[in-house]
Formats: sequence, C-alpha cells, structure tokens
Amino acid sequence: MTALETASVPAATATPALACRGLSKRYGDVVAVEDVGFAIAPGQAYGLLGPNGAGKTTTISMLVGLLRPDSGTVLVGGVDLAADPTRAKAKIGYVPQEIALYPELTGRENLRFFGRLFGLPRRRLAARIDEVLDLIGLTDRADTKLGTYSGGMKRRINIGAALLHRPEVLILDEPTVGVDPQSRKAILDGVERLVEEGMALLYTSHYMEEIERVCERAAIIDHGRIIADGTRRELVSLVGTADKVELVLDGDVETAFAKLRAVEGVVEAARTGASSVRLIAEGGRYLLPALITAVEGSATVTATQVIEPDLEATFLHLTGSTLRD
Amino acid sequence: MTTTGLRPRPVLALVAANLRRHTRDRVGLFFMVVMPFVSIVFVGMALGGGTAGSSRLPVGVVAEDSGPVSTALLAELRRHPDLEVTTMTSAAELRSGVREGSLAAGLVIPSGSTRLDLVVTETNGSGMAARSAIDVAVSKVAAVEEATRAARTAGATPEQAAAYVRQAQAESGRVAVKDTSTAAGDPRGFAYTAPANLLLFTFINSMAVAAALVESRRLGMLQRALTAPVRHRSVLLGEALSRFLVAGAQAALIMAVSVLAFGVHWGDPLGVAAVVGTFALVSTGAAILVGTLLRTPDQAPAIGPPLGVVLGMLGGCLWPRESSGDVLNAVGHLFPHAWGMDALLKLAVPGTGIGAVLPQLGVLAAMAALLLGASLVLFGRRTRALG
Repeated sequence: MTALETASVPAATATPALACRGLSKRYGDVVAVEDVGFAIAPGQAYGLLGPNGAGKTTTISMLVGLLRPDSGTVLVGGVDLAADPTRAKAKIGYVPQEIALYPELTGRENLRFFGRLFGLPRRRLAARIDEVLDLIGLTDRADTKLGTYSGGMKRRINIGAALLHRPEVLILDEPTVGVDPQSRKAILDGVERLVEEGMALLYTSHYMEEIERVCERAAIIDHGRIIADGTRRELVSLVGTADKVELVLDGDVETAFAKLRAVEGVVEAARTGASSVRLIAEGGRYLLPALITAVEGSATVTATQVIEPDLEATFLHLTGSTLRD
Repeated sequence: MTTTGLRPRPVLALVAANLRRHTRDRVGLFFMVVMPFVSIVFVGMALGGGTAGSSRLPVGVVAEDSGPVSTALLAELRRHPDLEVTTMTSAAELRSGVREGSLAAGLVIPSGSTRLDLVVTETNGSGMAARSAIDVAVSKVAAVEEATRAARTAGATPEQAAAYVRQAQAESGRVAVKDTSTAAGDPRGFAYTAPANLLLFTFINSMAVAAALVESRRLGMLQRALTAPVRHRSVLLGEALSRFLVAGAQAALIMAVSVLAFGVHWGDPLGVAAVVGTFALVSTGAAILVGTLLRTPDQAPAIGPPLGVVLGMLGGCLWPRESSGDVLNAVGHLFPHAWGMDALLKLAVPGTGIGAVLPQLGVLAAMAALLLGASLVLFGRRTRALG
C-alpha cells in the first residue's frame, strides 16, 4: 500500500509547517503561476506533479524566498516569509534540482559551508555533519573531493546539505534525477525516515512511483494552476473507477467484439487492430472470466492486459500529457 | 521586515569556501605564485637587472683626444647618478658592447670635432634611458662652453669668464635636475619590474578567479546560499571580500619576495599599502563585473587575463613607460595600471610619502568606487532574492 493511499488529512487546527495561499507570478503577459495554494502539516509528505513548464520551479522559488511573488503569502511554521525572511528561511531545507555544491571541496567541507550559512556553531556543526553523513551513508567518502563522487553520491550530499540545521520543512526538487537505483533507494528510504520523524516534505518528481511511495497527498499543477489536489484515491477517482481491458482474439473477431460489447459492466469498446479490442469496464479486473466465456464459440482470447486507473492515468486525463513530456 | 544586520558567520563561510577553492586550483596557483617572479626576473634582467640601488646604466665612452671638451664631458657623464661610465679604446668595441647588451649606450667623442656619435639600440628601454641621461650631460657641458664663449666675446677677463662659467654651470645644473626628473626618472631593473608585475598580476589573477564566480553562479551555489537565512548583502560582501583577499594576497606575495630576494625598495609603507589596497579594490570590482557578465567559467580565463595584459601594456607594466611614447602613455592613464605605476614609482623615490601620491590615489579610488559600485549592483540584480 502506498503512502498516498494511506493518507489522512491533517487536523485543520495544527499550524502547517508550510502553507501558501494565492501565490501568483507573471513575467510580462506570461502567467507562470496563478493562485496556487496548499498546506503541509508537520510529518506530512506532499507531492507536486506537473509537466515541464507547468510552474513547479517558479512555485518552489517563491516558497524558498528566491522569487518575490506578485501576490499571495507564504507561511513557514507560521512565519510570514515576506515579513521575516531570515526567520522563515531558517525553517526550510531546500534541495535544488541541480547539484549545487562546490566540486573542488570535499563532501564534509561542502556540508560545513552550508552549516555555517545557517549559523550553526562550530562544535554543534561538526557533530551534525557526522550525523548527516551517517544518514546519507557517505561517512567513508566524506573527506574526498566531491568531483570524484558518482552522480548518486553527489545527490545525497546535495540533500544532506539541506538537513544540517534540522529544518521543519524539506523541499526536494527532483532529487533523484540521473541517479542509480541503489542511490535512489537510499534517498527515498532516508526521506521516508525524515517524514516519520516529523519533518514536513514537499516533493517534486517526474517519477510517479516515487510520489506514490513517499507522499500522502499530491497536487497536479499545469499552466501555473493547481488543477487537482488530494490523496491518491481522491486523485484517481477523478478519472472514474473503470479499468481498461485489452484483449487479443483469434477467430471471428467481428462476432466476438459484438458479444464483448454486450457483457454487463462494459461501458465502452473499441477495435484497436485486426485482432485486438480495448474495453473500458467497471471492475474490469474481475470481469475477465465473463469476457473470456462471452467470446467462446466465436473466438479464443490469446492475450489479456488490465490497466487499473493510477496517478499516471489521472495526470494524462487532467493535463493531456505524460509527466515526461 | 526584520532589521537583522550583517552576520559575520555566513560572510566568513563564503570567504573560507572560496579561498579553499582557489588553493586547490593548481594552474591558478602557478600563475599566482610562480609566474609573477619569472616575469620580474626576466624582464628585470632585460631592463638592466639589479635593484634600485645598483641600477646605473652601463655606458661606454671612446674619447679620441683629451681636450677640455672631452675631459669636461667625461667628468659630467661620470657625475650623472644613473650612469656607470666605462672608457673604451675603440668605436668598434663600443658598438659590439651595445649590440650584445653589455652596454646600454655608447658615446664616441671625435678628436677636434663638436659632433658626438651616440650608439644606442632604440628599441631597448635601457638604451632610451641612457640616451636621455647622456643628453642631459651633453647639455650641461654645452652650456658651460657657451657661457665661456659668450664671456670672452663680451671682453671678459679670464677671472670674470670663470665666474660666468661657474654661474652657467649652476644654471645648467638646475636645468639638468629638472630634465632628469622627466626623462630618466623611472628606476630600472627589479625596482621597475617588481611594481609593474605587482599591478599586472594582481589584476590578471583577479580576472582569472572571476571564473570561480561564474562557476558559483552556474552551479546555483549563490542562489542556494540565498535560500539560507542570509542577507543578500552578506552574500555580496562574502564574494567581494573573497576576491579582494586574493588580490591582496597576490600583491603582498610579490612585495615580500621582491624585498627579500631582489632587495627592492618600495618606499613609504603607508603610501604603498594605500596604493596597493586601492588597486586591489579596483581589481576586485573588475573581477566581480567580469564574473557577473560572463556566462561560462571558460570565458573568464579567455577574456580576463588578455584584458589585464592589454591594460598592463598601456600602463607601462610590460615595458618601461618611456619607450611607449606620449600618446600611448596618455591613453594608458584612462586605466588604473598607469596610475598605479605612477604612484608606486613615485613612492620608491626616497623621502616620498603618501602625500605625494594623493592625486593618483584619488583617481584609483574613484575607479575602484565606480567598478565596485557597478559590479555589485549588477551582481546583486542577478542574484536577487528575499532577504
């Protein structure tokens, strides 16, 4: 069961770790972000899904104080980012999509640099660096130059740099782009542990399965607007509960197709090739025996595929594009 | 909005990280630690070698008779503080010495003639300087001769003529002092190349480290730093201070080694510190401007150092200013190197204090303010964020 399926909406009375409301940003006549708003409670992971150019990066830039919104507010742990950026930023750990680290320095030196930016005292910083290196599994490589690291190891240091000051909110922008499966697993395991410990998480990714695994709730953003927001079940329900069933037939396909259309539960049917048909059926995964029986005497079913509605389908349905477009 | 001031920790974090990066750049270190001294030594030797105290120009003289003019001229040349006079027996030997470079210039005094033969290589800075010094000596002797002839023509007695001559010598001496200060005032050897290379390499290496600033921008380090609870101006200050310290370290290294290894006398410490510090600020401003305007780190070493070399040429950092001509020297004064050279060479003259270089300091300070102001405004705009 994924995190999105088990989500519970946070209590409305709790102060959100991160909340934004009415965020808008324009570049001339181009609307980059319009009226974006959501709230993330402590210990909650929230996904932000959108195709390239949808407004994810602009939204994140406004959330971390890199970009001043034209309108709207950002509250970090109840602190208004515009009114008190120093205090608000101290509560945020931001991991950019690019590996923003000095390649000439070692992993430890890079962490030390960011720890000092966040004002950690020397002794506390040294101890915290050791903890973070342990968390991201790079203690043994801490004192070698970053330029010699693999892409996955750099990604882990990139994340570690945002954890030194124990932020209330962790914002991860595509944290697993270009990493090997082992590093991806390490990153996702680490992120899940942080959420379990009470850190709020805002996560953007092109990988739908990562969002489904890590996030309790997600928003789909397109053309600068949030077009859907909720748990996985809530989002998937937007495209209905019908499954897609694809069959390959051998025999009298025309007759068999007519019989399939008549089966109770089939709401839509289409020929997709000389010997293949696609059905949209309520509870299609349970309907397979009835479908196979229905075509007996006319044709035999040689191959089947049942596609349940998922976030990918929801995303496609809502935006008309896949996440990798 | 909070009123939190500049916190030193983030500024120092940026400075420490940047300096650590520079110390790991082996090519950069080579150009900072080795190249300036290679240039000082080789160019210094080409200009006559030695330091300020032993920078007299070797001049050969062939006197074909021992008449009063020859004797007076030889004595005058020997009295000149910038010349080391060697009498030679033949004009051929003298020409050979000039050609081979052992003599900066040569003078042949023909017997019974008022025409003197000067042997000099015009493209050689030492030769040009020696020629100026010889001209001064000849002018003084000519003035004495003229005074004596004028006195006799006017019917003066030998005693009166001698008095007139003494007066003419005094007048000529005054003229000579004035002339020396304009035509042959710059020191030679390491005393010239040390300040020249200090300005040249401080600027060039500042241009080169601008690549690190471009790299920081390209990597997104500056943007990421601005997501920390750091004031925008702290990031600006940290980056500027990093570049200033690199420029200052380069200048300090050249000064220390040139004093210890080449015996260069820099002059009034306060004045030198003010000039070098202000020039380092100019270099810092130029580095930040270049680092802000360029798009890729590879562009910095491709554009910055050549620009530094051109400005160095115009400012007299690659060869003596006296061989550049008035037009080039005037153009050079549109840029900081020429003003830096003016100030440092003036300070090297014994007894000169910071007060003597206030005009040069003022120009350099204005250039530093202009460059730093423009570069920080531009850099700030490109890295703007809340904070």
